Amino acid sequence: MKDLLRILIAPLIWFVAFSSIYGLHGLICGHGLQAIQIGSLSLPRPLLVAAYLLAIGVQMVVLGALYSAQFRSRSGFVRFVSRATGWTGLVATIWSLLPAATTSYCV
Amino acid sequence: MSLTFLTLFTLGGCQGELSTLSPAGPAARDIATLWWGMLVGALLILSFVMLLILMAFRRPAKTADEAQQVRVWIVNLGLIFPVSILLALLVYGLVIGERLLPRSSAEVITVEAEASRWSWTFSYPDRPGLQTQDVLHIPAGRPVDIEITSTDVIHSFWVPRVAGKMDAVPGHVNVLRIEADRPGRYAGRSAEFSGSGYASFGFTLIAHDPTAWESFLAGETG
Amino acid sequence: MNTLERHRKLSAIWASERGLKGWFSTVNHTDLGRMFLVTAFFFFLVGGILAMLIRAQLATPHSAFAGPDIYNQIFTMHGTIMMFLFAIPTFEGLAVYLLPKLLGTRDLAFPRLTAYGYWCYVFGGTMLLVSMLFGIAPDGGWFMYPPLTGAIHSPGINTDFWLIGITFVEISAIAAAVEITVSILKFRAPGMSLDKMPIFAWYALVTALMILTGFPPLILGSVLLELERAFGLPFFQADLGGDSLLWQHLFWLFGHPEVYIIFLPAAGIISTILPVMCRTSLLGYGWIVAATLGLAFLSFGLWVHHMFTTGIPHMGLAFFSAASTLVAVPTSVQIFAWIGTIWKGRPELHLPMLHILGFFLTFVIGGLTGVMVAVVPFDWQAHDTAFITAHLHYVLFGGFVFPVFAGIYYWLPHFTGRKRFFRLGEVAFALIFIGFHITFLAMHWVGLLGQRRRISTYQPEDGWTMINLISSIGGFILAIGIAIVLVEIILHAMTANRGKRNPWKAGTLEWAMVTPPPAYNFASLPHVTSREPLADDPGLPARLARGDGYLADPPTEGSRRETLTVDISTGRPDYHVAYPGNSRLPIILAAVTGLFFLSLLLKTYWVTPLAVTGVAILGWLWVWSRGHKKDMPPQPIGRGIKLANSSTVDRSPGWWGSAFLLTADATFFGSLLFGFAFLWTVAPGWPPPALFEPSALEFATGLAGMGISAISIRRAIGANRVGDKPGAWLVMALAGTGLVAVICITLMLRAPAPPGHAYGATLLVLGGYGLFHAALATMMILFLMARVRGKFAMTACRAEFSVVKLWVDYAAVTGVLILMAAHLPGALG
Ligand code: HEM
Ligand SMILES: [Cu+2]
Repeated sequence: MKDLLRILIAPLIWFVAFSSIYGLHGLICGHGLQAIQIGSLSLPRPLLVAAYLLAIGVQMVVLGALYSAQFRSRSGFVRFVSRATGWTGLVATIWSLLPAATTSYCV
Repeated sequence: MSLTFLTLFTLGGCQGELSTLSPAGPAARDIATLWWGMLVGALLILSFVMLLILMAFRRPAKTADEAQQVRVWIVNLGLIFPVSILLALLVYGLVIGERLLPRSSAEVITVEAEASRWSWTFSYPDRPGLQTQDVLHIPAGRPVDIEITSTDVIHSFWVPRVAGKMDAVPGHVNVLRIEADRPGRYAGRSAEFSGSGYASFGFTLIAHDPTAWESFLAGETG
Repeated sequence: MNTLERHRKLSAIWASERGLKGWFSTVNHTDLGRMFLVTAFFFFLVGGILAMLIRAQLATPHSAFAGPDIYNQIFTMHGTIMMFLFAIPTFEGLAVYLLPKLLGTRDLAFPRLTAYGYWCYVFGGTMLLVSMLFGIAPDGGWFMYPPLTGAIHSPGINTDFWLIGITFVEISAIAAAVEITVSILKFRAPGMSLDKMPIFAWYALVTALMILTGFPPLILGSVLLELERAFGLPFFQADLGGDSLLWQHLFWLFGHPEVYIIFLPAAGIISTILPVMCRTSLLGYGWIVAATLGLAFLSFGLWVHHMFTTGIPHMGLAFFSAASTLVAVPTSVQIFAWIGTIWKGRPELHLPMLHILGFFLTFVIGGLTGVMVAVVPFDWQAHDTAFITAHLHYVLFGGFVFPVFAGIYYWLPHFTGRKRFFRLGEVAFALIFIGFHITFLAMHWVGLLGQRRRISTYQPEDGWTMINLISSIGGFILAIGIAIVLVEIILHAMTANRGKRNPWKAGTLEWAMVTPPPAYNFASLPHVTSREPLADDPGLPARLARGDGYLADPPTEGSRRETLTVDISTGRPDYHVAYPGNSRLPIILAAVTGLFFLSLLLKTYWVTPLAVTGVAILGWLWVWSRGHKKDMPPQPIGRGIKLANSSTVDRSPGWWGSAFLLTADATFFGSLLFGFAFLWTVAPGWPPPALFEPSALEFATGLAGMGISAISIRRAIGANRVGDKPGAWLVMALAGTGLVAVICITLMLRAPAPPGHAYGATLLVLGGYGLFHAALATMMILFLMARVRGKFAMTACRAEFSVVKLWVDYAAVTGVLILMAAHLPGALG
């Protein structure tokens, strides 16, 4: 059971992060939050980028844990697969949420 | 394979008035270019992969160790190769996407399009009171924003030679930026299945030159 | 006991009833797997005939073959049948047939559930066929977008057939998925740790988990749309606070994973067969497992790529475009691992290999066009044109039909114990391959020339005539090829041409038995030490038949079907399992379930409660028959090992099954909450005119009920474990779930104007969900009480307690969330 968790955790976190940030963007546009300004910056971009970086940070922590002596699996096979899915989670987070930092929002 | 494509290409011809491949506006042109680029890329990749498979059948037997094979096949070809291509394609696609967005600018003209089974009603904020049925008037050479909605089921606004499509969703107003290079008539279709009248559900887009557009706005035509 | 005696004894225990009767009472996975596959192939032929009608219609402009009303039914049914009644059941059938054999065990985890799933599939599929015979088949396209499919624009019964029939069929998918998941995790031969599982098992496991999390959104969507159609609850009507885009989200949240649910088993077939055809082992087993998992997850983050033209802002589209391009990477890992496998070995061009080569070309093209439509601007043009139709067939036909044909030809000798006599397969392959590419290459092109999908006719001036004609001719070549496959399979089954064992010299365990396989699979279970036990030890089949493995001695008294389970990661033997025998209960339960759906379809609502009662009673009997009046001591499994029986453990198969069923249930619930949040932020007409009146009293009562039930069930378990009477605690738990039920009813009664606004309608459904689970938990507690009163050996056989605890806890947790969703908005705002 723990081994299954090791294998599934990083992609699961990716899915949560992905849908939350998609939802966050929807919320921003749906409730007119894009008009709010903090100084010269408008609110959405820093918010989205912060969420993006947070998601990446979490994935790095998870990946670190999968390599650490404390949390890694006893089975060599599970170690391999869980690290591979750990990398998948990290890369997927960076890749699929990249638009949060680059494309225009709410148009 | 590519031969079949080419034959079909000549058979089908490029003159079709609904063809996305004879673009008559910046959006359709960007997308057609994108398509040709992707087609070439895809054919190259396809030939490469098929070649690898063919070669597997006629090669002198040799044995490499498993780690080496994993590195070649899985890491280099399976991971690095697609990642580099996909990253480039993704960025290209997003840049074009950004370019086609309906950003506000003084030059832009707005038209409202309302679909219902099975006709389109267009109205023109620049000429209050006028509504046209199944015929949409715009000026040529200027960006136009179509504000699209529907009164009954989901439809989709599509003038293949000019731009991509945008759905007409009840309760929502979606904006599509279009622009026709030259004056003329362009065929439009509703591109979301809408029941029994769907096959023939279309409209005509008429792009006017500046003087014709002025007289259209002044109420002399249309 | 010699080999023959053992065979006789085991056969007597495991055999289905003789003759026709046996079909209706069998719970044996080999029988049911065959039945699934044959039925699915039948539906493939029906779907194929519909495809021919489509191509006939589109062959010429101004076609008068079918009017739009009939044509719309034809393509809707083609898509629906192919996706729901052919592809998914084919996976189920293959997995049901193969998995226990690959895993070195005797049957799946829940034999009666396999049968129940099969009959639900048959009855649900029949409903759809009947609608077609009467010309009242669904006609809204296979993704059934409202408002077109709402009551206003589709008043007829056509749409109801789809919503109700498909939901019925999906029960069978969920049942199979629970079954497959638990079987792969627990029901393996001793020694088979995760890294020694045959690769097909990994694919099947991932696919089953995807079904559990992918299908619930569609089931929810279907329930909501049917509620809207039948009772006017406006979930998808924009003028009443609903939104038709909610359907699209729910549908594609299912629909995209669905295509990977179809592809992954096929990839599993390739990964299994290809190394055998190349006389080598699979390159990069661990990589492939990881890639499969990655693919499964990523596929849940792609659904909006079907909605690129619905007006979602560019950033939203960009997320999904990025994820959609990324999903090509794990796919490419697999493709190149397979090519590397060919390089590694010595490929031989047997018939299955031809289909695999057909797969490669076709699927790679489909993947490449898939990446193209993942690019947002290109999809703005290609969306809803014949280009998409072409793309999806390259993926589905290339990625599923070719591999399945490879699999059929590969395992046919296993299904029948015979070998191919007439060599028609090669000709058939050539026709299918050529026909397919002619048909669908042409359709890419005509799509780019502006031909929309789903049009019933077109004009000569459109300039598509020639291409469509070519495409239709290709379609008929393809059809002839498939007809030849059919002929060959029939001939194969009829000619008595005995084949030899393990004709492909494969290394996996399904070939370590005589063919056609005996009902019990293995006379004794192997101890597995590698991924290809048969390759390491060609003498294994004989040794197993002689009784060298585990569970070699059939029980002396009675006729108990036995197997054992293992620890999930290590494969150490865990506990002993005794299966139920042949039974008509599954088909009867499926029929009564069908009655429930039929009553909804025909709007004879007075029958509905009767059917629900029937299901409840049969469900009760189903479980009741598994009780023990006597304690079950640890059972010997051979080699000096004794294992506890499954009825005496906390994590019994029933517990695992419940846990995974609840995973699906939780996904359903999560989708419902998502729908609520979606409507609140995106739909026009929100916030609603009146919010639910919050009530501290109700809220507190509900919480108390949940707390009481959760605590009391624990106390009851504790008491039972030490041999005390759990009765008093069970009564308390009952009071708790009763309170929850009452609070859910008041919530439903007080929901503001459900037909008037989607807000009230959603609250009504939330309350109904809570009520249903409270009622279920109540029934389970009553069941335990009946067991205790009936003097069953509950102290030793405590497995049922932990199952009930799971459901009580689930009702409590979802109950809290429901209460919060209803009361908090009013209290805060
Ligand atoms: C046997 C060969 C097949 C042929 C000749 C064929 C042909 C077609 C054609 C021409 C259409 C397009 C109708 C239109 O919208 O204009 C179509 C739609 C479709 N096909 Fe097939 N098909 C075949 C097999 C399959 C298979 C194996 C699957 C899935 C496993 C499948 C799934 C679908 C789906 C989902 C649609 C979309 C239906 C809709 O728009 O609602 N088809 N098929
Ligand atoms: Cu998709």
